[in-house]
Amino acid sequence: MSEDGLTTIGQEFKGERGDLIPILQRAQDLYGYLRPDAIRMISRWLKISENEIFGVATFFAQFRFHPPGQHHIKICLGTACHVKGGEQILTIATHRLGVGAGETTADGKYDLDRVACLGCCALAPVVAFDDKIYSQMSVLKIQRILDGQKID
Amino acid sequence: MARKEPRTETMEINHRKVSFPEGVTVHRAAELNGVYIPSLCSHKDLSPFGGCRLCMVEIEGMRGYPLSCNTVAQEGMKVLTDTVMLRELRKEILKLILSEHPSSCLVCNERTECQDYQGTIRKAGVTTGCRFCPNDGQCELQDLVEKIGLTEMDYPIYYHGYEPEHDDPFYDRDYNICILCGRCVRMCQEVRGTSVLAFTYRGPRVKIGPAFGRSHTEAGCEFCGACVDVCPTGALADKVSKWDGKPDGCYVSTCPFCAIGCQIELYHKNGRFSKAAANIDPEVNDGQLCVKGRFCLPEVTHHFERAKKPMLQKGNYFREVSWAEALERVAAELKGIQPDEFAMLVSPDLTNESLFAAQKFVRDCLGSRNIDSTARLELGGGLGLWSKLFSLPISIKNIAQADVILAVGLDSRFNFSVVGTKVRKALDRGAKLVTIDPRDSNLARYTDDWLRPLPGREGLLLKFFADSLAGRITDLPWVAEETTVNVPLLERALEILSSSKDLAVIIGPQVFHYDNNEALGDSLMTLAERKNTNFIPLYFGANARGALEMGVFPEIGPGGMSSRGQGIGLEEIVNGSKRLKAIYLVGDIPFFERPDCDFLIVQDIYLPPFKVDAFLPASTFAEAGGTLVNMEGRVQEVVQVENPPEGAVMGFMRPDWRIFADLANSLKGNSMNYKTSQDVLREIRKTVPDFPARLGRKPRRMKAIDHPEIHKPTVGKTSEGDFLLVAEPAGYRHRGIDISSKVGGLGELALEEGFRMHPGDIDSLGLKNGDRIRLSFDNGKVSAGGAVRADVECPRGVIYYTRPVVFGGLKHRRELLPLYILKQNPIRVNVSRIGT
Repeated sequence: MSEDGLTTIGQEFKGERGDLIPILQRAQDLYGYLRPDAIRMISRWLKISENEIFGVATFFAQFRFHPPGQHHIKICLGTACHVKGGEQILTIATHRLGVGAGETTADGKYDLDRVACLGCCALAPVVAFDDKIYSQMSVLKIQRILDGQKID
Repeated sequence: MARKEPRTETMEINHRKVSFPEGVTVHRAAELNGVYIPSLCSHKDLSPFGGCRLCMVEIEGMRGYPLSCNTVAQEGMKVLTDTVMLRELRKEILKLILSEHPSSCLVCNERTECQDYQGTIRKAGVTTGCRFCPNDGQCELQDLVEKIGLTEMDYPIYYHGYEPEHDDPFYDRDYNICILCGRCVRMCQEVRGTSVLAFTYRGPRVKIGPAFGRSHTEAGCEFCGACVDVCPTGALADKVSKWDGKPDGCYVSTCPFCAIGCQIELYHKNGRFSKAAANIDPEVNDGQLCVKGRFCLPEVTHHFERAKKPMLQKGNYFREVSWAEALERVAAELKGIQPDEFAMLVSPDLTNESLFAAQKFVRDCLGSRNIDSTARLELGGGLGLWSKLFSLPISIKNIAQADVILAVGLDSRFNFSVVGTKVRKALDRGAKLVTIDPRDSNLARYTDDWLRPLPGREGLLLKFFADSLAGRITDLPWVAEETTVNVPLLERALEILSSSKDLAVIIGPQVFHYDNNEALGDSLMTLAERKNTNFIPLYFGANARGALEMGVFPEIGPGGMSSRGQGIGLEEIVNGSKRLKAIYLVGDIPFFERPDCDFLIVQDIYLPPFKVDAFLPASTFAEAGGTLVNMEGRVQEVVQVENPPEGAVMGFMRPDWRIFADLANSLKGNSMNYKTSQDVLREIRKTVPDFPARLGRKPRRMKAIDHPEIHKPTVGKTSEGDFLLVAEPAGYRHRGIDISSKVGGLGELALEEGFRMHPGDIDSLGLKNGDRIRLSFDNGKVSAGGAVRADVECPRGVIYYTRPVVFGGLKHRRELLPLYILKQNPIRVNVSRIGT
């Protein structure tokens, strides 16, 4: 692990207890997730135990503890999408990928997430695949997208 | 140190005028005045949390229902704690708490009948009814439901369905019963500074535990049991006494496992000692303990291997015999020998009464001078030095008041934990901590300056600091080079130390066990005699100070009187310079093999690992009363919890002092006429001038004994080798056994096993964790083998191992035998792998 990265981050902060969350954010930016060894280093430096840091980090939805997948699938379950069947789309995606919402497939390829609203309710139900938005999704369409992804 | 007493203020609780010290919460003020406010999360040692919300009160002029546990009481406040509205609210809140807690034991219709008819008589005893909580009948939550008067539940019960956690030693965790009061989390973080427990996740998924779902062992748990003690439910429970049910009662006693002398509560059930818990004793431990005192006591006294009957070697057989026969035989053997052909070794784990009786038996009854104690091995640096150290005003309590703490070679996780909690308290008040330790330790985690010298050079650093603080001329660059500590770190440490007004110096036991520390004694005394310095030397062997006062050494008699002439002691027995006809081992077995003699008597709680001629079963701390002297000089009482009738079922154990008295009576008749331990105590008071007339538990200063030190011959030449081998003193000793051989959990942790090396060193040697290695020194003339263990806390290039003083219990420790001839510590060695 590149300890230098964290050391650089370290120079920007005073090393006080209150710096924990910004440091965690920076560490996550650096590695894409909070690695146990990064947490250990932060723990040493801020004099906060790893367990306490884990407690703080798990409170916030923004922190993750596994490497992010290559592709990020977000399935919207906001009001409009929910009414138009977003739940079924999530179920299909869950079955196809074999992981639940908020998890990453074992091969590290996909992240599956449920989100509350993507801000384009007129297109409901919506699925975001990486940065691309797929509108008016159906159970069949999500399968096709996943099939297509598996081919390339 | 005189501290300002807080001002007394007054307020009104339930229309009654009460007074309280300034700065406390309303909850505490009510508690101090005997007004009960229900609460599940508040605790006197912990910060206000406001989690359970049951302690809400009405305060005139304040909006809503403030929580009494986090509202500071103020002069003139008018508080109501028990109105109709509050009662209704509390009921509702309690229902919400219980909606995530299995509550059949609390509100079940069958509750009263269930309790009566739970035990069913069949061929085998069967318990009917629900039994999923070990705290049934001794549960704070149950009591509260009763007090608040909740009889029914309107909310659906949400059962988490967590798997109960049984994997770690000493205590089980069932987070289905947890009510998330956060007492354990705060205890672990605030008081212990361990921070193994934390709230993880959020909302309905909140669960208490370490990071990444690790086990407690992996997460660095000290197993101090403080979390178990504060848990208001049965979520956390001791493995040993979990299903014992409500204990019959408890006695406050002293922990017999180390010289801190923590006050413990010994619970008993059906006449048997069942579990120990910390006593809230402000003088020493204040509700805190270490793993030994909290969890290891019951197993040490109730282990199935406990030797309970007198035994004699008869021809080829080792037979159980009656006391009368055993005493007669031992007395007959002792009668036939000259005083000079006999020697006795006593353990520093015995009570004062037993130690005194032992020396009286040897000196008066047998007329011999040959009594020695293994305390000598624990008190490294010589008894003269220690008598000087004991003449200082040592105070464990006052560590918490220090503004600068210098901790040398101290890791307070599994040994001397209570000292660690005091350091923690001082740091919370803004004290600075300087740590000298080649090894990483729990204190290194929150230290301000961590000096990491080469092992064995701690004494040099101490001398440097002592001289600098005393205003003598010192050579900083030379010290830095010799100890391999950076100059800036050293300067910083010196700056912190010289800024201190109230310095606490804590010296870990390791420091006294280096042999190349000639300067140690002087520098310790220079440091200790500095003004406003609280000096705490730590050692193993619970009553080693008592041994010094009772005079169980050839050169030291009772009261520190030096006895004339040299007797035969431990050293002579170990190196076999004089062959003895009879050896009497009381408590400790400092040998791997039977020492050479005609008649070997062992008086202990477990059988020794070699052949003996007579074995006399002794009582443990639970079965015999007595007193111990802690490191501060407090004389503290060990209370008898069990009083089993002598018989085939319970055994024939007798207190050590009584065995000596019995033997003396068989030999000479009535020379030691002791009926109870009080009789011995009375005689101690007569003979030992400084012994207190009343057991007030006051710290005392010992008179320094002025007697010539027997200097250990230091081996001049230094051996060659790639690694530095450091011997650490073993911490889990009690009366001849290693506690970890009898206590399953401690054995599981295996803290003192193997040769500990930095994982980087293990890799560079092409080894794996657990591989067997051979250490050779003196150009391969001597070698010893054993398993290697990765330990990130070790510095590079150093191998640590534990050199025990007593050898009972752990057979594999025999592997270390070749290391015992080494006089040097630390020593350079070469490492090779055994096998392929």
